[in-house]
Amino acid sequence: MKLLRLWPQRLVGQVTLVLMLAVALEFIGSSILFENSRLYPNRDNQIRRAAEQLVAAETIMESGPANERVAEAAMISNRATELTWSPLPHLVDRNRPAENQLKDRLREAEPALRDRDLRLNADTDHALPRDTYLKAAVRLRDGSWLTLKTKIRAAPWAVLLSSVGSAFILGLGVIAAAALVLHNLSRPLRTLAEAADKVGQGAHVRISESGARDLKLVAEAFNAMQDRIAGLLTTRTEALAAVGHDLRTPLSRLRLRAGFVKDPEAREALEADVDEMTAMLDSLLAYLGGQEDPEPQRRTDLAAIAMTLVDDATDAERQATYAGFDHLPVHARPVSLKRAVSNIVENALHYGGDAAVSLTREGRTAVLAVEDNGPGIPDNELAEVLQPFHRLDSARARNTAGLGLGLTIVQQILHREGGSLVLKNRPQGGLRVEIRLPAL
Amino acid sequence: MATAPLAPSVLIVEDDPALRTLLMRLLREEGFQPLSAGHGAEMARVLETNKVDLILLDVMLPGSNGFDICRSIRRESDVPIVMLSARDDETDRLIGLELGADDYIGKPFSKKELIARIRAILRRTQAGAQSSQPRGHQQMTFAGWSLDPGRRELLSPDGAFVDLSGAEFDLLLAFVSSPQRVIGRERLLEMSRARFSDASDRSIDVLVSRLRRKLAVTGQAESLLRTVRGVGYIFTAPVERR
Repeated sequence: MKLLRLWPQRLVGQVTLVLMLAVALEFIGSSILFENSRLYPNRDNQIRRAAEQLVAAETIMESGPANERVAEAAMISNRATELTWSPLPHLVDRNRPAENQLKDRLREAEPALRDRDLRLNADTDHALPRDTYLKAAVRLRDGSWLTLKTKIRAAPWAVLLSSVGSAFILGLGVIAAAALVLHNLSRPLRTLAEAADKVGQGAHVRISESGARDLKLVAEAFNAMQDRIAGLLTTRTEALAAVGHDLRTPLSRLRLRAGFVKDPEAREALEADVDEMTAMLDSLLAYLGGQEDPEPQRRTDLAAIAMTLVDDATDAERQATYAGFDHLPVHARPVSLKRAVSNIVENALHYGGDAAVSLTREGRTAVLAVEDNGPGIPDNELAEVLQPFHRLDSARARNTAGLGLGLTIVQQILHREGGSLVLKNRPQGGLRVEIRLPAL
Repeated sequence: MATAPLAPSVLIVEDDPALRTLLMRLLREEGFQPLSAGHGAEMARVLETNKVDLILLDVMLPGSNGFDICRSIRRESDVPIVMLSARDDETDRLIGLELGADDYIGKPFSKKELIARIRAILRRTQAGAQSSQPRGHQQMTFAGWSLDPGRRELLSPDGAFVDLSGAEFDLLLAFVSSPQRVIGRERLLEMSRARFSDASDRSIDVLVSRLRRKLAVTGQAESLLRTVRGVGYIFTAPVERR
């Protein structure tokens, strides 16, 4: 518990602590290794000391009685060097060059050993730091043998090399540990970045309020900001929708009043204006209300919807044709779906002057295509026309009616029905708009 | 001014005074005898002292709304009700029709549309007393299809909602109401024209061919609506009412 309380709450504190711990660990670890290496004497000194010990022990053995030699040998042994006495030799010379060389070095160090019968074995570790285990036996004057066993530590440069290696490994370990801790510290930040990206695309993402205290504050602020934005949008949407509904009553009055205008030309113009305003209001309300449409999904005949719309257009003496299935059921909200198809047919009639509607099936997908012979949409603007309130310059220049919501609403509806909208310029000119929905 | 004793009286229940006045003037000019009320309580008073042939009922009213009023009227009387609403959405329309309203018009409506609908409903109810035209919301089924006059819905044998235009629906309703009987072209034209005055432009044959296509199920449609040369059409399938 106490340790937990010592853990700093703020990001700066946590990072500092981790770095401090890493540096301290590295420092302690490496100094232990380097101190150790300095304690070791060099190889020549070790050999000389072994020679001295051997000669000293020999002197002691020869001067004492034979029956106490085993005990004496044990007595003069120490942690690093073990001495034993035996009547017969334990060692056999193997005549290896390195062993002969070592034998010469011993004799050089102690001239007393020069004319003595000396046997020597040396085994070098294969692993670092490549210490040598030395066994040397000297023949005493009565023919018995004194054996010395010791470890000759490798040259200090090898020790140094091995300790640098260990320090390097230690350092790597510390860096890895620090990286792991920092990675954990920064996870809330990455979550935040991902969430911000998603929020930018219109989703509502709650991020968990955890981690360092200041990161927690950021998460809380971020969630609160989202709630405020959502609240603001809802209020605005509701206000706009309320105004939209309220406008219908004065529009009703206007339309009825238009019926009393004696001049037929003025009356028709007035009625056309009211129609245009009504259409704009309808599309605005459809766009705003799209998210919470209470209409349930049901089995709906897409062919019948297309036929009704084409027939309506034909009755209004506009050039529309239908080809394809007589029936093709999909799972959708019929009123929404009809609005989507209607928007596309209306667009084709309005901008292209004609609408060729066809309904086909591609595997499990129902494809309703509306083609016109109009100017199409410049390729670089194909994606933009789906944005709300976006109107092509050419449409604006001709002062055509509408708010620029038609295709946005279509996309919104299809998204909700699990379908998609595809816009293509036809190679022979004109636009092809496809509604793709899962067929039943 | 048409003040003949037989002029049908229409009660307007609408809270917007200007719209109320306009509707009064319009109905008077078209030969109706208009009455008006601003809210539910006032409407009840008018109904006590007057004989009313049709009620134009706004949905958004102060106090109890149009739906509540519609429900309470239906408990006592069969007087035709046309609902007027600023919310032109499908759920409102369905609620209105399910509560027993005879029609539902979204604002803003035109003079022509309003008068045509009022005339159609009056004609239907006046004829309804003796004809077999269904009153209320009996579902009708034929050859696997089902037709709901209340919700104005047609469902195909596999249960899919089949979209029909207003004129197509009225024509089908006329056929289904007099099944297995020859109906003359003139009579059909009159029936389908009753709802929308602009139906006069299309010939009845075009409407029938459109209906045939929408009712087409592997060659069955031709026999559902058979042409009787020189006279009209006959709806061949038996109709069941539920």
